[in-house]
Amino acid sequence: MFLTRSEYDRGVNTFSPEGRLFQVEYAIEAIKLGSTAVGLKTKQGVVLAVEKRITSSLLEPSSVEKIMEIDEHIGCAMSGLTADARTLVEHARVETQNHRFSYNEPMNAESTTQAICDLALRFGEGSDESMSRPFGVSLLIAGHDEYGPCLYHTDPSGTFWQCDAKAIGSGSEGADSSLQEHYNKEMTLEEAETLALSTLKQVMEEKVTASNVDIAKVAPKFHLYTPAEVEVVIARL
Amino acid sequence: MGLDFSGLEPPTIRASSSFPNLQPNILSSPSFELPSVKDLDGFEKAAVEMVKPVHGTTTLAFLFKHGVIVAADSRASMGQYISSQSVKKVLEINRYLLGTMAGGAADCQFWQRNLGTRCRLHELANKRRISVAGASKLLANTLYSYRGMGLSMGTMIAGWDETGPGLFYVDSEGGRIKGRLFSVGSGSTYAYGILDSGYHFHMSVDEAVDLGRHAIYHATFRDGASGGVASVYYVGPEGWKKIAGDDVSELHYKYYPVSQPVVEQEMVEILGYPPTGNLGDCSSIPIYRNVASS
Repeated sequence: MFLTRSEYDRGVNTFSPEGRLFQVEYAIEAIKLGSTAVGLKTKQGVVLAVEKRITSSLLEPSSVEKIMEIDEHIGCAMSGLTADARTLVEHARVETQNHRFSYNEPMNAESTTQAICDLALRFGEGSDESMSRPFGVSLLIAGHDEYGPCLYHTDPSGTFWQCDAKAIGSGSEGADSSLQEHYNKEMTLEEAETLALSTLKQVMEEKVTASNVDIAKVAPKFHLYTPAEVEVVIARL
Repeated sequence: MGLDFSGLEPPTIRASSSFPNLQPNILSSPSFELPSVKDLDGFEKAAVEMVKPVHGTTTLAFLFKHGVIVAADSRASMGQYISSQSVKKVLEINRYLLGTMAGGAADCQFWQRNLGTRCRLHELANKRRISVAGASKLLANTLYSYRGMGLSMGTMIAGWDETGPGLFYVDSEGGRIKGRLFSVGSGSTYAYGILDSGYHFHMSVDEAVDLGRHAIYHATFRDGASGGVASVYYVGPEGWKKIAGDDVSELHYKYYPVSQPVVEQEMVEILGYPPTGNLGDCSSIPIYRNVASS
């Protein structure tokens, strides 16, 4: 892919003669090293499920946080450099709260996604305040607003897509093709929970347990499942 | 005879020379006359204070065994003028926090809404609700940073957190006081009178609501700058709840019931008076005769 690699892959704001920004492309590659996350949209709400890589038995599973609440009607799952995601999520939280302050209404999921992507591409070699490199993280943003449930996918280039179902991270290729096969728009939320977890199970190396996956739904309020609630979904597999 | 170059001059210069009857200061920069008072700064400050809304107010809050009661009147005045009788002086910051409004209405509304935003961000970042002490300190720190820049606020932050009920008084000077019982505003002294004589820590919720309402009513009775509706909120473990909103002019008859006055005089129509045909239009007016008086 990068046969023409040259000095053009050094600067984050320099196009190569072929019209590519290598650092952005490398950032997108970084996502493919991350743990897998899937999101599914149903008519009742959106389900998010992520794999938590518990690299040591001495690690406290609850401290690995890969699904975060943005506002009560928006949640997000991440893959890639999770530290970068925290910056984006913090930005989104401030944006949604400022929107409530100014307009006395919850912010749209699309506007929130747009706000995140605006920050995602605000990088360069300029001032010390701004990010010097692209954010190496991809997000699945689940929301419920006046248009009903919705799911967005963002990447380090600041592009976003609306999806019915999407997988990101290391197992995304396998998981995406599995979702394409088994997903349908008429699924119930419960069926979506099961499909999300079974898709994750297919691409995970370890056995699925309540401590190495996280599940959340936005239906219509964000809710992160407790280990006991995750256990119930695992039992249905 | 030379050439006439006057056409090249800027129009303003021409205006002053060609139209002598225009106002002489039309070309000077805009200005207005200053009031002829000795202490100009003091005068302007007093003028601003006079038109500042919600300066006359009665608000109160107190802690008791079962939670916190927050109550307020609803009158907004600008000097002698009553600008509104339906102001919401108990501000709902979130489900568990209430603030009261005394001083500048806009200052209180804006900064308490701002506080609501920051409490929510705290909640998202820490996965637990902010304490009442924490919320009141956020506000007090903000107000201190604007100290001396004209903010006018006297507010009580009341709520329920992990440690139980909480109550703080915060003002625009940056002060923050934890306490059991507060009243703020021009009617506060009257409210304190009722509160201090009726307050017991171990009272029931109903008794506490009645005490709050009575104190607000009494303040509106004695303080001309307070009036309207006495709103009473109760903050318990499940958050706040609005309990009452009674028009104080109706409450008056609850606290001072009017007994039916003894009828001393009765009016009876005189039959057959006036004689028909003589008085024209006036004939339809009934004429009464006092039968009780001797």
